[in-house]
Order: sequence, then structure tokens, then C-alpha cells
Amino acid sequence: MPASPERRRPVGLLLVAVPVLLVLWLVIWPIISAVITTIWLRTPEGTQFSLETYRFFFSDGYSLSNLSVTLWTTGVCAILLLVICLPIALYLRFSDSKVAAYVQGLAIFPMFVPSIILSFALIRVLGPNGTVDLLLNAISLPKIRSPYLTPWGPVIGLVWDNIPLTVLILLSGLGNVSNQSIEAARDVGAGRFALLWHIILPRITNSILVAISFAVLGIFSAFTLPYILGPAAPEMMGPFMQRTFRDLYDPTSAITQAVVTFGFCIVFGLFYVRSVAKNRTP
Amino acid sequence: MATLVHRRVDWTGIILAVVLTLAIVFPLLVVGTWAFTNVWRYPSVIPQEFGLRFWGQTLGRADVWTSITMSLTLATTVTLISAAICLPAAFAFARLEFPGRDLLFFSFLAGHAFPKFGLLVAIAGIFLQLNLIGTFWGVVLIQLVGTLLFMIWIPVAAFQSVDRRMEEAARDVGAGPFRVFWSITLPQAGPTIAAAILLSFVGTFYETEGAWLIGAPQVRTLPVLMISFINNQPVIQFGAVLSVLLWVPSFIALLFARRVVNSGSFARGFGG
Repeated sequence: MPASPERRRPVGLLLVAVPVLLVLWLVIWPIISAVITTIWLRTPEGTQFSLETYRFFFSDGYSLSNLSVTLWTTGVCAILLLVICLPIALYLRFSDSKVAAYVQGLAIFPMFVPSIILSFALIRVLGPNGTVDLLLNAISLPKIRSPYLTPWGPVIGLVWDNIPLTVLILLSGLGNVSNQSIEAARDVGAGRFALLWHIILPRITNSILVAISFAVLGIFSAFTLPYILGPAAPEMMGPFMQRTFRDLYDPTSAITQAVVTFGFCIVFGLFYVRSVAKNRTP
Repeated sequence: MATLVHRRVDWTGIILAVVLTLAIVFPLLVVGTWAFTNVWRYPSVIPQEFGLRFWGQTLGRADVWTSITMSLTLATTVTLISAAICLPAAFAFARLEFPGRDLLFFSFLAGHAFPKFGLLVAIAGIFLQLNLIGTFWGVVLIQLVGTLLFMIWIPVAAFQSVDRRMEEAARDVGAGPFRVFWSITLPQAGPTIAAAILLSFVGTFYETEGAWLIGAPQVRTLPVLMISFINNQPVIQFGAVLSVLLWVPSFIALLFARRVVNSGSFARGFGG
């Protein structure tokens, strides 16, 4: 737009002011405030510095088992996502057959299915007397031990839910692997495994780390799928925080749990932000 | 192109297609079947009676209509506010020079650098002091945060991809700034911006965590109602019919936004 340099400055700042203030008020400030309210506790004598809420969290068996089931779920999901999505992304990058378009459509499809519908669908398929049980019964096999309401329930749901973005991020990274480098390696006799290990993986390490970071940030405090598909106890941090905040009406403990999740995810968060920032400039 | 896959029959593709169809399409087909089933008792593999009986019953429920209205009102409000404040900002980030531009642009990533539900609980702590818990505007604010990144980053990319030479040519023949924006910039950036607005509407429509944490039980959206159907409703068909109804906006998004999602710029927005 034609505008003199003197006019540009206030106009640009003015146009971005409202969303930036919203981010400050509803993202940055709540995080700072969460840390402050959990270490400056209100007592009858006034506010004073105390790590009591954290001491309680890290000495309470129930909180710790919730944290460990969350760590377990996040780790298992991250590994499964990589094992499932890397072959899909590799196939999509190096195939131009008609089937590839169908596979890509399917891999992206979960993005258009809300978690709540997915939860209901998985209960109807994998739950007691669900479709899998019906089919097994039809061929005279015993029922499955349903993953619904066990720690595997959220794992299945969260992996399903995270397939599209993991595939897209890996695929975007694979775009940096040139066909010439593959051809050159093949010409000197590299097999499929050597190609993957020496040519492809080193070039997409960053994308793999970004995909994992994104998945970890989403899964660590996931709520809907663990709340509906997971066991009542121990529960993942998402349902745990929700119950502490709403049912037990204990905001300070819930916010302490939130700060603990921030602490566990900070490395992934910083890495993710750095990578995204590196790829984009306004 | 086919450097790794050389076979005439694409077995890898066929195996992947079959496995993904089973894992991704099959569960949804089961829900779709339940929605059009009057009677389906164990151990019959297919329903004993197909029909639309439960559509009438589900749509006859007052709580379903209240939550449909609430979800549509919320999603429309959030999308309109989001568009009103984010699109001018996106234009500024794409085209204008001002101090701190890069830092402010990347500040929108802050919301994605923390585990989402943890952040929601931290926000809820503040809303508690401001008496925003259980209010419509409390839910609007929390959902607005979720749309900020999308509604700024995707339109910025759209504004940047507009052909600047065409704008200059229009100016050379005497078009004013608004005429250039209306006739040259908007038609080129428009489809991507429309996709961003659609994704923002759909994302808000399905937002469950914030609506549940901040709004329930006073503000009950369709996904929140669905949670109570799953937990407390013995009639399976109610949940199935609600799932099919609930999927309509997503289906529309699927039709219109798939191209944007498939494009490389979308994945790059997530750091790919």
C-alpha cells in the first residue's frame, strides 16, 4: 500500500495491537500468573513464598501415578506415530501411483473428524460388545479384552488423531530430499536401507523432531480422548486437571498441575517454536 | 519420480490403503450405521432393523436444539471477531514495516508452545477471579485464543503470495489504494483467507476443552452435550445421530479446505 514511512509505523502497530494484546492477556499473562499464584500462596497472615503445592504434588502417590501414566502414554504415542507415519510419508513422497492419492486422502482424513466423534466411534468398535466383538463372535472366536477404559484406549485415540499432522510435517521435510541425491546413491549401489539411513533420515531429522514435539505438546495434556476412553484412575494430566479445577474446586492445585505439565514440555515447546520461526518470516 | 517404488503393481500402496481404510474409515462407518439403525442387538453382525426412528427422537430433544443453537452462535461470534481483529493484523504483518514486527508476529506461537489444556487451566484461574466462568463471553474469549494463530498466519501467507506487479500496474493506471485492494489483492488472497475463516469456524465449532472447562454446565455446546451422551446415555443411537449431525461442518470444511491443507504452506505453518 502506498504510505509514507512516517505514516507506516503507527498504522502497522495499530493494526496488530488487538490480537497482540489478546496474546499477552490470554497466553503470556496466565502462564506468569500461574507460576506466581502457585509459589506466592495466600495465608491468613498475607501472601508468602512457599513451594508447598509442588511439594504436595511430588509427594502425593495419586498425582505421581497420573504423571507417570501421562509420560507413558506420551512416549508410547510418539513412538507409534513415528513407526506408523514415517512409512506412509516415505511412500507418499516416492510414489506417483494412483493409490498414493487415496492413501494421502485417508492419512489426512482424521483432521476432519473431531475427537469427540472419534471417541464415540472407538467405543462402538472396540468397546464391550462392539463391532470387533461381533465379528469375532461370528467366526466363533472369543471376545477381545477391550482397550476401552485402559491406558491403551487413549493411546489408540491419540495416535489416530495425530496421524494427519505428523504425516504432513514429515512429508514437508521429505520435500527437502532431492531425487538426484537418491539416484546418485542408488548408482553407487546403495540398497533401500542404506538409502533410508544415510541419505533420507539425516535430511529429515529436524522434521522428525518437530513432528514429535508437536505430538508431545498435544498429547501431554490432552483432555477429550483420555477423559472418555481412558481409565478413571490413574488418569492423564488433562482429566486430572479438569477434575481438580471443576469437581474438587481446587484451582491452586489444578494450576500447580498445569505448571508441572509446562515444565515437562518446555524443551519440546521451545524447540517447536524455534523450528517454526526458522521456517517462516513475515 | 518412482525412485523407491519400482514394481508394476503398487503393493506397498495397496497394503497401506487397506490398513488405513480399516483403521480410519471403518470406525466411522460403524457410527454411521448406528445412526440409521432402529434395532441392533448382540450378536447380530448387521442391524436387525434399519430406520430413521431415532432421528425424530434426537431432533425432538430440547437439549439438542439448545446446544446446536449455542454452538452455531459461539462459532459465528468467535469467527467474526477473529476475522475482524486478525485480518487487518495479517495485512499489516505481510505488507507494512513497523518496529518489533517479527517479534510480534512470532508471539502468536506462544499459545502453541505450551500443552493446551494446561494453558486453559491457567486461563481458567484468571477467569475465576473475573467471574467469567460459566459465561458465554468467557467461552468466546478462550476460543478466540485458539483461532489467533490460524487467522493470522494463513492470511499472511495469502497476502504475501499476491502478485505485487499487478498491484503496481493498477496503481500506475490511477487506481487508489482501496480500489487496488478490492480489485487486485482481495481476489488473489481471497480463497486462502476464506479457507482460514472456514477452518476457524469449524475449529471453534468442535472446540471441546475450553467450552467444557469454562462454560459447562451453563454454556452447553454440541460437543459438550456429546460428552454427556457418551457418559450417561444408554441409547446408543442418540450419540450416533448426534455424531452424524456434528460432522456436517467438518464435511463442508473437507470439501472446501482440503486443497489448503494439502498444500506445503499449511504443513510449514506447523513447522514441517
